[in-house]
Amino acid sequence: MKTWMKAAATASAMAAGVVFAAPALAQDGSIYIPNLSYRTGPFAATGTPLMNGQRDYITLLNERDGGLNGAKLVYDECETGYNTEKGVECYEKTKANAVVTQPWSTGITLQVLPKSNVDEIPILAPGYGFSAMADGKVFQWAYNPPSSYWDGASMILNHISDNDLSSLSGKKIALLHLDHPYGKEPIPLFEKLAGEHGFTFLPIPVGLTEMQNQAAQWLQIRRERPDYVIMWGWGAMNAGALTEAAKTKYPMDQFLGIWWSGHDGDLKLIGDQGKGYRSISWSVPNSESSLMQDIKTHVVDAGKSQINQAEGEFDSVFYQRGIMISVILVEGIRAAQEEFDTQTPNAEQVRWGLENIKLDEARLKELGAEGMLVPFSTSCADHTGHGGGWMLEWDGSKFVKVSDIIQPDRSAIEPLEEEKAKEYAEANAPWPVNEECEM
Amino acid sequence: MLYRTAGQFKISYKADHALFPVRQDAYLLGFVLLLAFVVFPLTASEFTFRALLIPVLIYSLAALGLNILTGYAGQLSLGTGAFMGVGAYACYKLLTIFPEMNIVIAIAMSGFFSAAVGVLFGLPSLRIKGFYLAIATLAAQFFLVWLFQKWAWLYNYNASGAIQVPNIDMFGITVAGPRATAMTQYYFVLGVVSVITLFAINITRGRIGRMWKAVRDMDIAAELVGINLMRAKLTAFFVSSYIVGVSGALFVFLWRGAAEANLFDIPLSFRVLFIAIIGGLGSILGNYLGAILIVALPVIVSTVPATFGIPIDSAMVEHLNVMIVGALIITFLIVEPHGLARFWAVIREKLILWPFPH
Amino acid sequence: MELLNAIFVKPFADMAAAPDFLLQVLWEGLVGGVLYALIALGFVLIYKSSRIFNFAQGIMVVFAALTLVGLYEMGVPALLALPLTLGVMLLLAISIERVVLRPLVNQPDIILFMATIGITLFLIGLGEIIFGGENKVMITEQLGIPTGSILFEPFGGFVSIEEKDLTAVIGAGILVASLLVFLNKSKIGRAIRALGDDHQAALSVGISLSTIWVIVWFIAGVIALATGIVWGARAGVSFALEVIAYKALPVLMLGGLESVMGAIIGGLAIGILEKLFEIYWGQPLLGGNTEAWFAYVLALMVLLFRPQGLFGERIIERV
Repeated sequence: MKTWMKAAATASAMAAGVVFAAPALAQDGSIYIPNLSYRTGPFAATGTPLMNGQRDYITLLNERDGGLNGAKLVYDECETGYNTEKGVECYEKTKANAVVTQPWSTGITLQVLPKSNVDEIPILAPGYGFSAMADGKVFQWAYNPPSSYWDGASMILNHISDNDLSSLSGKKIALLHLDHPYGKEPIPLFEKLAGEHGFTFLPIPVGLTEMQNQAAQWLQIRRERPDYVIMWGWGAMNAGALTEAAKTKYPMDQFLGIWWSGHDGDLKLIGDQGKGYRSISWSVPNSESSLMQDIKTHVVDAGKSQINQAEGEFDSVFYQRGIMISVILVEGIRAAQEEFDTQTPNAEQVRWGLENIKLDEARLKELGAEGMLVPFSTSCADHTGHGGGWMLEWDGSKFVKVSDIIQPDRSAIEPLEEEKAKEYAEANAPWPVNEECEM
Repeated sequence: MLYRTAGQFKISYKADHALFPVRQDAYLLGFVLLLAFVVFPLTASEFTFRALLIPVLIYSLAALGLNILTGYAGQLSLGTGAFMGVGAYACYKLLTIFPEMNIVIAIAMSGFFSAAVGVLFGLPSLRIKGFYLAIATLAAQFFLVWLFQKWAWLYNYNASGAIQVPNIDMFGITVAGPRATAMTQYYFVLGVVSVITLFAINITRGRIGRMWKAVRDMDIAAELVGINLMRAKLTAFFVSSYIVGVSGALFVFLWRGAAEANLFDIPLSFRVLFIAIIGGLGSILGNYLGAILIVALPVIVSTVPATFGIPIDSAMVEHLNVMIVGALIITFLIVEPHGLARFWAVIREKLILWPFPH
Repeated sequence: MELLNAIFVKPFADMAAAPDFLLQVLWEGLVGGVLYALIALGFVLIYKSSRIFNFAQGIMVVFAALTLVGLYEMGVPALLALPLTLGVMLLLAISIERVVLRPLVNQPDIILFMATIGITLFLIGLGEIIFGGENKVMITEQLGIPTGSILFEPFGGFVSIEEKDLTAVIGAGILVASLLVFLNKSKIGRAIRALGDDHQAALSVGISLSTIWVIVWFIAGVIALATGIVWGARAGVSFALEVIAYKALPVLMLGGLESVMGAIIGGLAIGILEKLFEIYWGQPLLGGNTEAWFAYVLALMVLLFRPQGLFGERIIERV
C-alpha cells in the first residue's frame, strides 16, 4: 500500500509538472507547423496516406534545402482520430506556437473556425471545410484552396452534363453522403441547382455506423434508379459503397465521387469491377516528376518516410495529394517570409502569405510539380482560388486523368457563398469583417 | 496525527449527521476548494483550462448524474451521451428562440427537457431489469442521436447539421462563444458544478437517497417495506437526467463551442460510464477522481514523451493511450472494484489511525 | 389520410408491384441477419457459461479478421494462416481468462461487463499498433470462397445473389448446427451448460471453471473469425467493423441472453425486419438510416411484454 501511494504521489507530481509547464516546443529560427492528423480509427485508411504526403514534403525541404529559406520547418502531428473532441484538444495544445492550423475534418474546422478571429491563427483546410470560407472578407482567417466542396459539386455536374446543366432536366441525381458535416456540405448547392435546372436531387445519407454495411442505401438506389450517383464518402464508407455498387451492378460510368472518394486503396478492393468510376480531383499523381523523384531519393529511399511501399502508396492519388497540400502551405509561408523579410513569420504574417499564394503553372514547374496541382492564386477576397479540377477515372488498377481542367460554375455558387457567409457572421455576432478588402 | 478524530465528540444526533462529522474532512475540502477557486486559475495556462480543468469538471458532473441513477438507484444506463445531447440541443433552441434569455436560466431549463426524456425512457425500467435494461437504454442512445441528425429544426436548418455557440454575455462579461476567455468559462462551470454537487450530496443523504439505495439493494424487498418502486425509479431517472442534461449544455456551451449529433454517440456514454465506475459507484467524490483519471490522464500521457524529448509519433501515442486506458480499467477493476472513492476511504482510515498500527 | 395511406397502404402496394425487389430486400436482410445471429451467438455462449456480458465480441471479430489477413500479408499461405489465426484466438482466450477473468471471479455483473470494455479498448490499441489502421482486403479467393454472383430473374425483374453471401449463409448454418451438436452431445458441451445453470453445483461435481472459460472464449473466438471472414469479404477489414457489436445487442434482448435458439431466430428476424422497415417505411417517411435504432426499439417493445426476451429463461425473483 505504502509503495503504491508513494508511486502515485510521484506520478501525480510529475504529471502536474508536465501540465502546468507551458509546452516549450518553439526553437529559434524554426517554424512550427502542427497538423491535426488521424492515423487511427475508422477513417485511418484514407487519412494515413495524406498525412504521410504532408509529412514527407516537409521532410524533403528540411533534408534537401535545410528548411525553407534557412528556417527549419518543425512538422508536428497531433492525433485526432477524426474525432472532433480530440481535435479541439489538439488545437488548444498546439496553438501557442503554431503559425497555421490544419484541422483535417469539416467537423473540427467548424469548431475551430469561430476561434480563429480571437486566437488569430490562420486555418488551412485544402479542399475541405466550410465552402463559404471562400469569402475572405468574412472569414479572414480561414483558407480552403484550391477548390471548395461547392466548386467540386458544380464541376461534377458540369462534367456529366458537358457544361450544359439544362441537359440534366428530368434526370435524377443521387448524393450518397456521409451523415456528418462533411457529407452534408454540398447539399445546399445541389438543391439550388436542382431547382434551377429541373433535375431531381436525392440525398442518401450513410450513418457512421453503417459505413461498412450499405445494403439499405444501395437497395434504395436500385429502387430509385438515379441517372447518376455522386458520392461524398470518407474512410471506410468509400470501400463499402464501391463494393455495394459493384454488387448491385450499378453502372460505374454513372458513379462519380468527390476528391476524397478517389482513394486507390478503396478501388483496389474491387479492382476491375470498378472500371469507369470517376472522381474529381484538384491534384494528379505523377511519380516521374522531378519533385516526386526528389522525395524518392531524399525521403523514401533514405528511410525517413512512413509510407507502405509494398502497397504502392508512393504512386497513389492521396499520398501525392498530401504532398500538394504541404506545397500550398509552404508557398503561403514563403510568401510571408518574402513580404515581411523575416525567416520566421508569425501567424498573422502567414495569414497574409496564404492570402497571396500564386501557384501558377510557371511556379509549379519551378517546384517540379507541373500538372500535379491545378494552378490557382488566392487574394484577400478569395480564400479558395477556385482552381477547378481534373476528372480522374479508375482503369482497373490505377486512376488516370480523363479530362482537362474543369471549372466550376462560379456565377451559381457566389451568391450562395455570400449568403451563407453572412448568415454565419450574423449567428456569431460580433464577427469582425474585413471591410478594407476589395472584391 | 493528521487525521486524529479523538476529542471530536458528538452530543446530538444532528451533529452526528452533519455534512462533515470529522473536522479534518471539512479542512480538506476547504483546501481543495481553495485550489479550485484560487490556485488553479492563477497558475493554469489556457491549454490547461481547456484541455484539463473544464472537461474534468463537466465530465464529473455527467458522471455524477449517471452515478445517481446507476450507483444510487441501481439502474444501469448506457444512454448518458444521448441525454447530454438533449440538454445541449434544448439549451441551443432556448437561446436561439429567446436570445435575451440569461444563459444560467437557459442551462437550468434545458435540464428539464432532458429530465422529461429521461423519465420517458425510464418507464421500461419498471418492467425490465439488469442487462436487459442497459440494452434498452441503448435504444434511447441510438434513437436520440438519429433524431438529432434528422430533425433539422433542432439545429436551425444549418446546412452542415452542426450547432454553433454564439457569443453570449452575462452581466457584461462574455461567458460562452469564441470570445469568452477560458478563465471565465472555468469559473462559470465551477460554480454550476459546485451548486449541483451540494444538491446531489444532500439529496443522496436524505429520504429520497435512502429510498433509491433500498431499491438498488433489492427492489422487491424495498417494495415490501412500502417504497413506491415507480416513484423511486422515475425520480432517479428524473434527477439523473436533469444533471446529465445540464452537463450536456455545459459541455457544448462552455467548452466545445460547436457540436454535431455524432458527438453524443455511444463513445461519450461509455466514457461517462467509465468515470462513474472507476471513480466508484454510489459515491459523489468518486466522480471527480474518476474524471481526473479518465479525462486528464490521456492528455498527460500524450504530453509526457514530448516533454522528455522522446521521439514517438502521435498515432503511436494515441494507440498506446487507448491500450493504457483499457489496461487501467481492467487493473482498477481487479485491484479495487469499488473504485477510487474506496481507495480514498481506505487511505483516510489509515490516516485516522496513523501512526498507531491499530 | 395521406399519412395513413403512406404508412399502411403504399408500402404493401410497393412490395406487390415489384416482387423481385422485395425478394432482394429479403435476401439482403437474411444475410445481415445471419451475421447478427453469429455475433449474438458469441455473446450468448459466454453469457451462458459465465454470466459475463462480453462487450469485446465485436473487437474479437476485427482482431480475428485482421490476424488472418495480417498473417497472409506476411507471406503465410492462406490455408495455413487459418489454423494459425485459430491458435492466436486460443492464446487470446487463455490470456483473457488468466489476466482478467480469474481475478474477477464472483464480482458483480457490471464489473465484469466493464472489464470486457477494458479488453475492447486494449485490443483496439494493440491491433492498430500491430496491423495499422488501413482498410485491408479479406483474402476471400485465397480461402477458396467463390466470389461470383448468381442472377435469378423471377417476376420479370432480377435478384442478384452473391456467391460469398450464399457461402456465408451455408457456412453459418453448418457452424451453428455443429455447435448445437457439440453443446448437446459432447461432455464439454454438457459441462458448459451445467456451469450456465449453477456455478456452485457445477464446481462441486468437478467441472473446472477456468478450463471451461478458456474453451468458451475460444469458441467465441472461432465464431468471431467466421463472422470476420464473412463481413470482411463484404466490405474489407478495418476497425470500423467494431460497430457491428452494437447490432448484436438488440438481438440478444429479443432472443434472450441465455438462449442459443433465441440468438439465431432473433438475429434473422431483426436482420429481415430492419431491412424491410428501412426500405419501405424508413426511407420514404423518416429520412432513412433507421437501421441505427430500429432493432433496439423493436426489442424494447418485445421486452415490455416479455422482460426476459422471447426465449430467455424466466426470471424468478425471491426475497
